[in-house]
Amino acid sequence: MQDFPPRIATFFTGTDDAPTSDPDTRSPAAFLRWMLRQQTRVIVLSSLACLLWLMPMTFGPYIFGRAVDEGILQGSTPDLLMWSGVMLAVVLVGGTFGVVFHTLIVRSWLISLYGTTQMVTRKIAQMGHVLPRRSPTGEVLSVSSSDSDEFGALTEILARTAAQLVSYLTVAAIVLSMSWQLGVLVLVAAPVLLGAALPLLRPLHRRQQVERSRNSELTSMATDIVAGLRILRGIGGEDTFGRNYALQSQRARLAGVSSGVWQAAVEGIGVLFAGIFMVSLVWLGTRQVNSGELSVGELVSFLGYGLFMVGPIRTSFELAQKTTRALVSARKAIAIFEQRPPWREPSDPQPLDGSAEIHDELSGFTARPGQLTVVVSAVPEKSAALADRLGRYLPPDTDPVGEEDGDGLKGRAARRARADRERRRARIAARDEEVATRQWGVRLGGVDLSAARLDDVRRQVLVSDTGSGLFAGTLQDAIDPHGRLTREEAEAALRVANAEDVYDALPEGWQGQLDERGRGLSGGQRQRVVLARALAADAPILVLVEPTSAVDAHTEARIAERVTTLRHGRTTVVCTVSPLWLHHADRVVLLEDGQVVADGEHATLLAHDPVYRGVVVRSLDDVDEVLLR
Amino acid sequence: MTDLLATSPDTWRERDLDPPVIPPELLPPGKVSWRERNAAFWQRHDVRRQRAEDVYAASRNPERGWPVSGNRAVLAFFRELLVSRRGMFTALVVLNALAAATGLLVPRLLGELVNTTVDGGGGLPLDTLALVIIGVVLAQAALTFVAQRTSTYFGQDLLSTAREYIVRTILRLPLGAVEGASTGDLVTRVTRDVGTMSRSVQYGLPMAIISLLTVVLSVGAMLLNSVVLAVPALLTFATSAWAVRGYLRRAPKAYITEGSTYSRINTTLTETVEGARTVEALGLSGVRVRAGNDDIEVSAQAERYTMSLRNILFVALNFAFGTPRVVTLLVGAYAYHRGWVDLGQITAAVLYVEALSDPLDRLISEVDRLQVGAASTSRLLGIAEVKPDRSPGDRLPDGVELVAEDLRFAYRPGHDVLHGVDLRLGVGERLAIVGPSGSGKSTLGRLLSGINRPRTGSATIGGVELVDLPLEVLRTEVALVTQEHHVFIGSVRENIVLAREDSDDDAVRQALSAVGSLLWVERLPQGLDTIIGSGRYALTPAQAQQVALARLIIADPHTLVLDEATSLIDPRTARTLEGSMNNLLAGRTVVAIAHRLHTAHDADRIAVVIEGRIVELGSHDELVELDGEYAALWRAWTS
Repeated sequence: MQDFPPRIATFFTGTDDAPTSDPDTRSPAAFLRWMLRQQTRVIVLSSLACLLWLMPMTFGPYIFGRAVDEGILQGSTPDLLMWSGVMLAVVLVGGTFGVVFHTLIVRSWLISLYGTTQMVTRKIAQMGHVLPRRSPTGEVLSVSSSDSDEFGALTEILARTAAQLVSYLTVAAIVLSMSWQLGVLVLVAAPVLLGAALPLLRPLHRRQQVERSRNSELTSMATDIVAGLRILRGIGGEDTFGRNYALQSQRARLAGVSSGVWQAAVEGIGVLFAGIFMVSLVWLGTRQVNSGELSVGELVSFLGYGLFMVGPIRTSFELAQKTTRALVSARKAIAIFEQRPPWREPSDPQPLDGSAEIHDELSGFTARPGQLTVVVSAVPEKSAALADRLGRYLPPDTDPVGEEDGDGLKGRAARRARADRERRRARIAARDEEVATRQWGVRLGGVDLSAARLDDVRRQVLVSDTGSGLFAGTLQDAIDPHGRLTREEAEAALRVANAEDVYDALPEGWQGQLDERGRGLSGGQRQRVVLARALAADAPILVLVEPTSAVDAHTEARIAERVTTLRHGRTTVVCTVSPLWLHHADRVVLLEDGQVVADGEHATLLAHDPVYRGVVVRSLDDVDEVLLR
Repeated sequence: MTDLLATSPDTWRERDLDPPVIPPELLPPGKVSWRERNAAFWQRHDVRRQRAEDVYAASRNPERGWPVSGNRAVLAFFRELLVSRRGMFTALVVLNALAAATGLLVPRLLGELVNTTVDGGGGLPLDTLALVIIGVVLAQAALTFVAQRTSTYFGQDLLSTAREYIVRTILRLPLGAVEGASTGDLVTRVTRDVGTMSRSVQYGLPMAIISLLTVVLSVGAMLLNSVVLAVPALLTFATSAWAVRGYLRRAPKAYITEGSTYSRINTTLTETVEGARTVEALGLSGVRVRAGNDDIEVSAQAERYTMSLRNILFVALNFAFGTPRVVTLLVGAYAYHRGWVDLGQITAAVLYVEALSDPLDRLISEVDRLQVGAASTSRLLGIAEVKPDRSPGDRLPDGVELVAEDLRFAYRPGHDVLHGVDLRLGVGERLAIVGPSGSGKSTLGRLLSGINRPRTGSATIGGVELVDLPLEVLRTEVALVTQEHHVFIGSVRENIVLAREDSDDDAVRQALSAVGSLLWVERLPQGLDTIIGSGRYALTPAQAQQVALARLIIADPHTLVLDEATSLIDPRTARTLEGSMNNLLAGRTVVAIAHRLHTAHDADRIAVVIEGRIVELGSHDELVELDGEYAALWRAWTS
């Protein structure tokens, strides 16, 4: 039987685990069915355990009725003891299986929950930089953090409903055996009452959705205030944003009250229906006792069953609500899981040689083997775009499409909006695929990058762009995430990137903890640690985009010099206009409108190329200069 | 110069010696005898308890981040909230008590019905009795509705008041603390802790009150129904007391631990998603997948611990609440023969026994939800315990001259980063501060803009200490401009009028046109009222920076301290913003902490800061003439 955490090895093939099946993403219902099929045994067994746990409630009233009739009213001590013994046994079995049921239900809940999180992680691992192009980060995260919980809740309610249904039928059978009229009442009345109450659930559900979306808006406002707190305290605006928060908080309160009142109505109706059901059962029972068709003990049993019926009714309410929620969540999960990487592995992959020349056809850029080439462009995006092409990355040129459902649309409008979102996502995917499958236009040693395996490309060409971030963990993990370096290598990387001060600032040295995204470090420190990590990876071709933009000149000069020495003999491309790097370049390439218009040595170009001089000298009186003129 | 990596050999760890994420003693043994398995289970349970206690202790005394308040503060906070809603609270209690009481009448009346049926008369006729019961059921339904409605109003009101209080507190945090500390911890508090607190305030508190009332009233009703039948049942219930107590003592710590494992899962995943490109570039996918799996393994252990705690509780509760059925039956039969009770009382007693376990279950789970909520609340209230760093005086500056004398400052006692800095800024002067990183440039900037109070010496404007000015005044005198250009969720207008919230539209338009943004703002769907910020209308980086500059124009300080302002202006947008920046700086005194040495030479004066001291001060030409640090750096630079 499966246990938690489950073993999931879908989507991403980079770990050694034997692959497990992919989820069915054809429709939300199909997805849920797939999810449930994964743990059929656990759910079936937990239904059985639940059934046994319900035994005291299913059989208790019957036993009690028999005990009243035979033991108490007729005064037979052996019968009384016998029925008491049966009752004790039923109670003990029920209690034991209560624990078993709880254990199994936690198991199936967590299998769904952890499994979903694992699938999301593996989806990101599989898709890499392509996923954020298509789906907003928040959406990806919420599949793991909240939708996964709905799937867990679904397994629980299904197991419980199945057991409740069986015990409901058992009770109906017991009641039928005593009186067919009452048996029919039980069988008919409960579903009728349930059907009568169901229409109340829809408006409740809608109000709960509004409440949830207002609350999440409120949370994002609070996060926003905290994120901009320095500005609010430094420049002002506390009143405005404090007031905006308070207004939203009141809106959330009203939504909460409105859904709470409906919830209260549902509860009230539930009490009413259960009460009326019980009264009619008992009243009919008393008539039958009077006419001699029913014994007193049997009547007492009915009382117990009247109370018991509240359970199945409540459970089916829950089933309806949770299924709806699970379907909504399944749709969100599908939007993530159905994405496919745009890349196609070439049928005959060519090996790449990182010590060869790399050439970009679009811009006409060439990096000669073993040299430090600096790319200069008046428009930094253009050199960043070149770096992306050299590393075979899709450009960040899309607006990810979300799966938001909180915009209050109903019925047809909602469906239309959803179809529209699906179309937009499909369009991005189609475009990605179009770009990713044709000739890439960058040749390494004469081999087009699309003719090689993508992981080979990643191994040969490392692009460290401005968006490169750090992960939480120790400094050692940050520099050596793969655990492949010796201490000396790691030290060297730190020194070359002039990031020794980061080491020094952490009392635990290599084992000092960095916060998520390196938040505790200054911009310059973060940039230098990122650089050290890129250097330590020791890629045959290293492409650095603005590697020292947040570092003071003093340090930048040191870094440029040390990087040049370290990378001696290996191909390195740096995109920057800083003269400190240009001094060290073997070759400088000037881009204009994304095209190579000049190349050569820094000094020569500076002396003879007016356009180049324009760009570089312009950078000499950088922005600070603007400030002080 | 000492080697900063001197301790490297001591702190480097060999990865193969890394302990497994889950210590081996937490793995279940293979095939062993039942007795050994049982012993191993309890051993694991103990290890897990220890882990939970460690996590809890760490969360109460965070090494970094904002303080955490004590239990007493939490109690006082809630007491105050309750006291100020005395009327509503009373209504809540009374209505819920009534709803519970009518609910308890039903079994009693059903018992009566049985009696009437058995005796065939005596009391009320059957049909009348049935109608009475229907009436009671109707009343119960109506009361349930009204009581729940009151609970909702009460819970939502309490919740909105509490969260608004927290946000107000955050908005009053001392300037120095805000500038100094990381906001990460604060983000966790306003998201996760407000969430946990919400749940316990909104549902936990009313539910706990309702369940408690139901339990108390049920016990009362049992005793009223028949003391003989009630006492044995109640005694059996009482056997679960020790288990409940043990559970309530351990569960909150266990749930807090569990919660922290989930936030760890989320953090790791967030990093993986946001760093998807980095992950791919460095081939870290496998590492991230494993990191995610490790988090889940740790979380699973926390889940196993809470599961065992609940199971242990259930064993006790199932016994304590199951056996009374048998007890009531046996005692009932005996008492019936003795003529102490009638059949209706036995019936009612059994129904009560059946009905009691539900509210009690709920009470227990609400109590532990409340405890978890209290832990979150103590973190939220901790924010309020940050001491204010200034008490504004009533003197207003006389003049605009910024003068610093003998400034010394230490972040850690005994470790001064500034060692007596004197500086006198001329009105309208441009001063550049240069120096290697870590020399104290930024600290000097913060003292000059009144963010921190110097340890000794003074930074005054027009003769008044900067940190003694009320914040509203300070902001219109000196502004510190850092690399942050956050766009708030709010209208364009709200994003700009920060410093003078009463500014009219003309002022906003003027500011916008000064930074060259009026055109695009007017093209927005709702002009100045367009809601911008994260998740709304997205601004380009250049537009975001223009908004940041327009804020400063509205604030209109006569002195600007620019720290790493190059980062404020992304090189990509520098061209566009050049004019905006010039408009902002025109006619103001400017202190620019410069990254790029060569850019300093256009400033009126340059201050070279090295190791917390101004070692050289003068114009570019003077300093080159002086042939000291600056000249040396300059030569290295331009060669």
